Amino acid sequence: MGVIVKKVELSWLDRTYVWPVMKGMAITFDHFIRNLFTPTAKRYTIQYPDMKKEMPEGYRGLHELKRFEDGAIKCVACFMCQEACPARCISIEAEEFSDLNITQGFEEKRPAIFKIDMLRCIYCGMCEEACPKDAIWLRKDYEVAAYDRLSMQYGKWDLMNTYAAADGKERISQDPTPTVPRRTIVM
Amino acid sequence: MDKLASLLHLTPALLWMALKVIIVFAGVMSLAAIFTWVERRGSAMIQDRIGPNRAALFGKIRIIGLAQILADGIKMFFKEDLAPTDANRNLFWLAPFLAFVPALMGFAIIPFGRSFVSGGQTYHLSVLDPGNGMGMLYPLAIGGMAVYGVLVAAWSSNNKWSILGGMRASAAMVSYEIGMSLAVVSIFMTTGGYDPAEIITAQGHLPWTWNIVRQPLGFIVFFTCMFAETNRLPFDFAEGESEIVAGFNTEFGSMKYSLLALAEYSHMMTASALIATLYFGGWQVPFVKDPTVLMSVACFLMKLVFFAWVFVWIRWTVPRFRYDQLMKLGWKRMLPLSMVNLVVHAWFMSQSH
Ligand code: SF4
Ligand code: SF4
Repeated sequence: MGVIVKKVELSWLDRTYVWPVMKGMAITFDHFIRNLFTPTAKRYTIQYPDMKKEMPEGYRGLHELKRFEDGAIKCVACFMCQEACPARCISIEAEEFSDLNITQGFEEKRPAIFKIDMLRCIYCGMCEEACPKDAIWLRKDYEVAAYDRLSMQYGKWDLMNTYAAADGKERISQDPTPTVPRRTIVM
Repeated sequence: MDKLASLLHLTPALLWMALKVIIVFAGVMSLAAIFTWVERRGSAMIQDRIGPNRAALFGKIRIIGLAQILADGIKMFFKEDLAPTDANRNLFWLAPFLAFVPALMGFAIIPFGRSFVSGGQTYHLSVLDPGNGMGMLYPLAIGGMAVYGVLVAAWSSNNKWSILGGMRASAAMVSYEIGMSLAVVSIFMTTGGYDPAEIITAQGHLPWTWNIVRQPLGFIVFFTCMFAETNRLPFDFAEGESEIVAGFNTEFGSMKYSLLALAEYSHMMTASALIATLYFGGWQVPFVKDPTVLMSVACFLMKLVFFAWVFVWIRWTVPRFRYDQLMKLGWKRMLPLSMVNLVVHAWFMSQSH
């Protein structure tokens, strides 16, 4: 199917070329003056290290593993996220722990190791979707970069502290409840 | 002045000459260097960007990015100086100078201030004193030499893109030179002389007696041709980076490239000085009959900087012509226009006598 392109007939004033150039110069001069009197911080460009873009709602950035108020991890090591992850970059090892003593026989599960390979992660947010406990969030930090590959392997404590500074929370590096050895049920 | 001259074992005339040469060439070169920055900041602002503003002296003193010039200079200076294997070595070395020297030399004739008398001696503020017999023909001739810089650079680098750029640029320069010269000739005619000093005094101090009002058509032709001469954007066929990589300076690196770039800006300075001299009264201060020397120099500088800025401004407004459009504009518009201009003024002059 052909498209008929309409050729614009130029008026004689436009064909002199001088007048349209002057119009164009008025436009560029307008931009120049407007920019000249706008302080640098208020122009369109975000001057990156000094200024940072406020990411929109729903942005999927660096992950955070959520914690309870006492610092206990919310994750219950259900492996849902590991299963959902299309990039296969989450690896979890579970462990059991308990507030109660062994004889009371009440146990809970949490990750002993929770690793995300940020080099492979595609920030799809599937882990966030899959989590039944709302324990893993993708938040607005987009500055995920490092000088070597090893530092891009985020462990459990890295992930729990990713937004500690931004939220004004304390950095933690220890579970409030100690691990108990696996209870062996003696018949 | 005399004491200093005897201290240096020079005659006062010689010392004055040396001083002028240093002041003019150092001044034009530093202005050209500053304009590399002005171009980048100005274009950024025109396009709603920010431009180079982060370079700072000692990492602290950020004078709105002016240190960028220094940084660029240092960077260019320490870069590896490569020459392509099949290049014509000698010409490759010579080309930047061939481009740079004529661009600067054109400025020598231009009076950048009012002449003054001190101690029974007249001092002229132009490197070549008025009445040297060359007058305005000199910058036109030197401007014609600028073709060689571009062409030699293009030829010697043994690169197809380069030679394309060089050929296009030289064709453009040669064809626009005719229109430009005819426009200048009509000024010679109305002035009755071709010395820049005469042209300036003939224009007087009132803005409406300047040549821009008397010969607006000539001004448009001359101004357009100046863009073709300096190879700047609506006519930058030498470079044409979207079409032929970077044209004649594709193969040039480090200091050679920076010399070529500086040549372009020096050319721009000379061109704006010519425009100011021919059409805007040179060092004449508007509405001031007898300006002091300092005032006239300042006024000339202001005109110079303004026209250099117009060069930048137009570059970032108008897109590049197509090659056939350029040729058409040069031969079918500019040349007839300048001829009409010439004939009309000749007719007027014959009527008024
Ligand atoms: S965001 Fe996507 S790729 Fe990254 S860890 Fe979660 S599920 Fe895997
Ligand atoms: S983060 Fe959520 S989905 Fe992943 S193991 Fe923990 S509780 Fe399960």
